Amino acid sequence: MSTSSSIKDNQACFQFRASFSPCTILQMTRYDLEALEQQLAEAIRRAPNFFLGSPVIIDLEKIQTVHDIHFNDVKKVLIACGMVPMGVRGGNPEQMIAAVTAGLPMVTIGKSSTEIGKKVEVETDSKKSDVPVAPTTKLVTNPIRSGMQVYAKDADLIIVAQVSPGAELLADGHIHVYGALRGRALAGVQGNTNARIFCRTLEAELVSIAGYYLTKEDIQTLPTHDGMIQIYLENEQVKIEVV
Amino acid sequence: MAKIIVVTSGKGGVGKTTTSASIAMGLANRGFKTAVIDFDIGLRNLDLIMGCERRVVYDFVNVIRGEANLNQALIKDKHNKELFILPASQTRDKDALTLEGVGKVLEEFSKTFDYVVCDSPAGIERGAQLAMYYADHAVVVTNPEVSSVRDSDRMLGLLSSKTKRAEENREPITEHLLLTRYSPKRVARGDMLSLSDVNEILAIPLLGVIPESPAVLRASNAGEPVILDVESDAGQAYADAVARFLGEKLSHRFIEEKAPWFKRLFGSKERETV
Repeated sequence: MSTSSSIKDNQACFQFRASFSPCTILQMTRYDLEALEQQLAEAIRRAPNFFLGSPVIIDLEKIQTVHDIHFNDVKKVLIACGMVPMGVRGGNPEQMIAAVTAGLPMVTIGKSSTEIGKKVEVETDSKKSDVPVAPTTKLVTNPIRSGMQVYAKDADLIIVAQVSPGAELLADGHIHVYGALRGRALAGVQGNTNARIFCRTLEAELVSIAGYYLTKEDIQTLPTHDGMIQIYLENEQVKIEVV
Repeated sequence: MAKIIVVTSGKGGVGKTTTSASIAMGLANRGFKTAVIDFDIGLRNLDLIMGCERRVVYDFVNVIRGEANLNQALIKDKHNKELFILPASQTRDKDALTLEGVGKVLEEFSKTFDYVVCDSPAGIERGAQLAMYYADHAVVVTNPEVSSVRDSDRMLGLLSSKTKRAEENREPITEHLLLTRYSPKRVARGDMLSLSDVNEILAIPLLGVIPESPAVLRASNAGEPVILDVESDAGQAYADAVARFLGEKLSHRFIEEKAPWFKRLFGSKERETV
């Protein structure tokens, strides 16, 4: 708790705790209740305890064009399999209303599949609009020592100094390092697959773009070059090239 | 106002206590009223290195707790009347130290002393954090070896963020690198990191290079800071370091292998000035 909090520790009624347990997304690809029941039963048979008690979010993205989904029945099927349907996401407005009526609230959790590996499309449904905020830039001129972490939220990050091994750079946008990059650089940490990393030498311990990463071990040496190296994501693979 | 110098490293066993003792003695030899404090509660050894282990009555923790005043706890050094030692407690542990307590003691020192050298324990926990919190200068002791360099780097990060000057946004602590246990022979063979290797990673001004020397062990056993052994290479290197700290410009000795006699006779090897 930060010292600037106005609630005294012993009077607080709650605290938020980060939970890293995964929540399963059930992405429906075809609306067919009988087939759904059969196929789910098969999946459960193969891994009996895997889904037992699992909180599940139903993703409607692939069946947005289907009218008249009976969400009560979908719920029943999932519960019968031991899952705990928690909510829905990615449906068109009509579907979302029907889902809420059936007791499945609208949930925004994680990223929908259209964003991964493809250009970000502006969403037209009632979900919170992901209009990208024009990133500002965070500029750092002090050396980043081992153990330090710099996070440029909703921004690009420029470091004009060395980054020691054991240091971490994180940015929602691009990362540019003009000194020696010997630590870790993670660009596009909120899922922006267009983010890139620019550096002069390949000494980084780990580079990552939108969660896809390469460790120093995996990075092949480049031939001697003048100029910058850029690291970007193509087809879910991290590519490294001389600019 | 006393200047507070913390001698720290992160890594253990690199030469912090040896350095604290020699730097404090060096400053006292120059006429400055100097105190050296052992912050390693529970594992004290500054008193051994300074040769006053038989005269310890009260210690740092006693003073913080008000069980003794500073004058009762300070031990006068037998070589130099300007030098005083405040030993650590051996029976308690580092939880006995408090931020306010340390602050008050340092403030009291400030009234009459010119320099206060804080001998930090190894690590980055409470003892080390308290030793560096009030510092104006930091001597980061590093061995030319990968783990030591990484730990020193971490320490530099902490010095620029977890100290009073950093928190109050004042001028940052002046950082000095002291490379210890340097062996030019092993560097030439490629077994040891060179001065430039270390400099590339840490990139802070170099205060001195202390060569690996049997004089250091002799000095610990005798209970006299190695700077008093004026014939030894380590002693001279520490004297140079103190001179540089006080602003003198000296070139670094002991960073190159001694050339064989015929080379010295026929060729002049340029001394590297860093």
